[in-house]
Amino acid sequence: MHRFKLPPQILRLILVAMAIVGSYLVARSFLVPPSFGEYGWYRGDALKLIAARDPVFAGKQACDECHSDILHKLAKDAHKTLSCEGCHGVSREHCDNPDILPVKATGSHCIRCHEANLARPAWLKQIVVKDHYGPKCTECHLPHQPTQSP
Amino acid sequence: MMNEVTNSVVEALPQFQGYVYPNEANFHPVWSTLIVVYPYITGLVAGAFIMASLVRVFDVKALAPVYRLSMLTALAFLLCATLPLLCHLGHPERCYEIMMTPHMTSPMAIFGFVYAWYLMAVLLLELWFDYRQDFVKWSKTTAGFKGFLYRVLTLGVTDVSEKSVRLDMKMEWILSIVGIPSAFLLHGYVGFIFGSIKANPWWGNVLMPIMFILSAIVSGIALCVFNYIVLNWIRRRPLDMRCLDAMAMFLFYALVMDAVVEGLDVLHRGYAAEEGFAVLQTMIHEKLFYTLNIGQVGVGTLVPLLLLGLLQVLPRRVPEATRRVMIFCSGAMILLGVLMMRWNVVMGGQFFSKSFRGVMSYKMEFAGQEGWLISAVIMCLPFIILTVLVKLFLSERLQPCEHVLEKSSKA
Amino acid sequence: MNHTINRRSSLLRMGAAMAGLLTVSFARAAKAAVQTVFVSTTAPKGYDPTKHKWLMCIDASKCIGCGLCAEACKKENGVPEGPYYRTWIERYIIPKPKPGSDLTRGEAIVDSPNGGMHGFPEPTLPKDKIEHAFFVPKLCNLCENPPCIQVCPVGATFTAPDGAVLIDPNYCIGCAFCIQACPYGARFLNPATKTAEKCTLCYHRISRGLKPACVEVCPAEARIFGDLKNLAADDPLQKFYEKNRVQVLKPHLGTEPRVLYAGLDKEVR
Ligand code: HEC
Ligand code: HEC
Ligand code: HEC
Ligand code: HEC
Repeated sequence: MHRFKLPPQILRLILVAMAIVGSYLVARSFLVPPSFGEYGWYRGDALKLIAARDPVFAGKQACDECHSDILHKLAKDAHKTLSCEGCHGVSREHCDNPDILPVKATGSHCIRCHEANLARPAWLKQIVVKDHYGPKCTECHLPHQPTQSP
Repeated sequence: MMNEVTNSVVEALPQFQGYVYPNEANFHPVWSTLIVVYPYITGLVAGAFIMASLVRVFDVKALAPVYRLSMLTALAFLLCATLPLLCHLGHPERCYEIMMTPHMTSPMAIFGFVYAWYLMAVLLLELWFDYRQDFVKWSKTTAGFKGFLYRVLTLGVTDVSEKSVRLDMKMEWILSIVGIPSAFLLHGYVGFIFGSIKANPWWGNVLMPIMFILSAIVSGIALCVFNYIVLNWIRRRPLDMRCLDAMAMFLFYALVMDAVVEGLDVLHRGYAAEEGFAVLQTMIHEKLFYTLNIGQVGVGTLVPLLLLGLLQVLPRRVPEATRRVMIFCSGAMILLGVLMMRWNVVMGGQFFSKSFRGVMSYKMEFAGQEGWLISAVIMCLPFIILTVLVKLFLSERLQPCEHVLEKSSKA
Repeated sequence: MNHTINRRSSLLRMGAAMAGLLTVSFARAAKAAVQTVFVSTTAPKGYDPTKHKWLMCIDASKCIGCGLCAEACKKENGVPEGPYYRTWIERYIIPKPKPGSDLTRGEAIVDSPNGGMHGFPEPTLPKDKIEHAFFVPKLCNLCENPPCIQVCPVGATFTAPDGAVLIDPNYCIGCAFCIQACPYGARFLNPATKTAEKCTLCYHRISRGLKPACVEVCPAEARIFGDLKNLAADDPLQKFYEKNRVQVLKPHLGTEPRVLYAGLDKEVR
């Protein structure tokens, strides 16, 4: 029995195929990021990357340090569920440096929540601003204790 | 004041009717002309290959004159098949990730491998085995760059003995057999990219891959008809009418199948009338009226069906010249109709909101990443490549080895 | 003779070993260089994603449609202007059926001008024609079987061990397949970065112990956020389950959203 010999063209093709697969494997070992597969089919580092962003809103807790009186007032009245930054706007810089004051809250934003709208749930006290007592809300309502008047 | 703001926005975006999700209220759909061209091109590849396989696998001798042309057509289009996908990516420079960390549940990632398999393992191999003997011969007779090219393409194998050529034929036959399911896979997968999206009732459909395959076969054969006629017209050579008639016959049967399955799809949708059917109906009546009813159904299906059907019923009555014109026209119309079909699928799926409460419209841009200029360029590219391939491998001056086709028909 | 050959072959071998070592070390260096491209962070320390399971639920009956959440989300995450929203509010107006028709209710009118960011205008229908109306805040539904992740070709979007569905901005190729696959319209292609984007549950905030921006500013407790792995006895999330019958959006798609809604109506999708 003579030895089995691969036909030349097949041999050549096998070599070419091996070269292709080989270079694919080499490329793969270079180009797959190191943390890929740490938790699943993705870059584990992506979690850190996404978490690395700086927060913009400071959060209610951050105000507690210096304005705890207002927090207490707020917590006792109808606006207890509101966040300071909902009315005062983003105040992170102010937290770090109290000299940079938050944008002045004037009270014009009150209507954002209290303007009557049919789609609003009934539990929310709504007013038709035109028919209400006046346009300067803070004259008659304390923003942090809305049921009380100054 | 708030009223003013919101009202002005509503006026500024008049192309949205009803409610669309805010993220959908964009001026361009995220997939546009490039993604229309992409399934069109892959479809042409699969179709042209299946048409060529008729010669090898089913031994349809009448089609032998277009075997090489259709294989080269498939190759030229396959080389361009990923271009539209690549161009539409937000980060084309990261495209290697699809091959490096393919996500196995994603149709698009698997498409990368199906594509590579099809290009390397099927199309190039089959072409190589088919041409190997000729490469050896031509590399000896041709001088200069071309000769060098042929020599490189032999991959250094110069054995053209009877035994080894017989092996080539055998391999080719095997490859054709492997190639048919691969071609189905290639284009079925493209259909699956759309069919797998259950969020979108226009796409998410089991029939989608099948419809894509059938329309691919139709468009591929039509393209071969088109190329064959044009090539011989350029070379001022007479057409082989037996071959052309055979192509017309296969084109007709494929078209019938395609029309039946697409009709079934329409019927099923209408009968089941699932969630979102109302919005699909408005689309058919308004947004897609011209491209669907007139383009895809009328020009792309009914008229060619009529023309080709006529040729099947009265094959010999029609004079040759008329037959040629009829076949050519129906081929061209089918090519147009299938392009419309891709448009209807891809764009249609994005003309309505996934809330099923509104429709958007779309004004095509000319330039830019999503403009139609780049799609048009990509559509022309395969024809340029094909010209080069034909010059190199289907040249009139370089005759293929005589016995190749004979042998294959005997085997 | 034998001797020289031996020496030569051993020399050769040594040379080969040196060359091999060189290539290997070169390859190592090259690989490290390639991979530093991927690594970069100044992430908060001490956050272990495996020790949390975040979840947001929505009590639609509480939403007052003020739009603070949608606005805060844009500010917090630097979402570009225009039709790009990680969270938004929809308003549903269910009209009364036309007099004489035997329908129970009219065709819903839905709107979300600017994602509800600046509030909503008065409904165009007069009051006596409206059966009822309500707001629904929308966000990523944190599906158990997320179709968006299923279709991502490169593994750039994923469910983190802590339950957030995230997108790796340095790995996303911007093919927009996930945007097509999301049944809820929660994803968009950021025109600036050319990558897909979506709600991250404010991942940079929750990993620092803060609440997501939308939850922070919501005045009505319509968004209930919590950590399933560290539930306190009086946790709002716990209370939310206990008090309400809940619903998910588009349940027939089998995506199994984890974001539960209370107070929806049949028209909501
Ligand atoms: C480091 C301590 C500190 C923290 C933290 C802090 N503030 Fe203040 N804030 C101050 C001081 C001090 C003033 C008084 C400045 C002045 O009147 O010149 C002030 C004043 C204000 C004012 C009044 C501005 C004006 O126009 O009169 C507002 C509103 C305010 N803070 C909001 C907030 C909010 C909201 C937060 C939480 C996000 C916060 N602050 C956190 C120290 C702080
Ligand atoms: C309903 C919206 C609203 C909320 C919520 C709110 N504020 Fe105010 N706040 C105002 C308005 C309006 C003023 C301006 C009052 C005025 O001009 O008389 C103000 C004034 C202030 C001032 C200036 C000094 C003062 O006492 O009048 C401080 C400090 C302040 N707010 C802190 C806070 C902090 C801290 C919180 C969160 C615990 C908070 N606010 C929540 C609306 C609000
Ligand atoms: C972010 C939304 C929001 C803003 C802004 C807001 N409120 Fe309120 N307000 C509420 C909610 C929520 C309640 C508690 C529910 C209720 O009682 O209606 C409330 C309650 C009230 C009440 C108490 C009604 C009662 O009798 O119990 C008054 C008065 C009031 N707000 C006045 C104001 C004024 C004045 C402003 C502007 C400084 C303002 N609100 C700004 C959300 C808001
Ligand atoms: C001239 C004083 C005055 C001004 C200005 C004023 N209010 Fe009032 N508001 C009242 C009084 C008094 C009541 C309680 C009696 C009532 O319900 O009519 C009240 C009640 C309310 C309530 C509770 C309504 C209810 O159904 O219980 C809300 C909410 C409210 N005001 C919001 C506002 C807002 C927002 C503004 C600014 C646009 C505003 N008010 C301006 C005097 C005023």
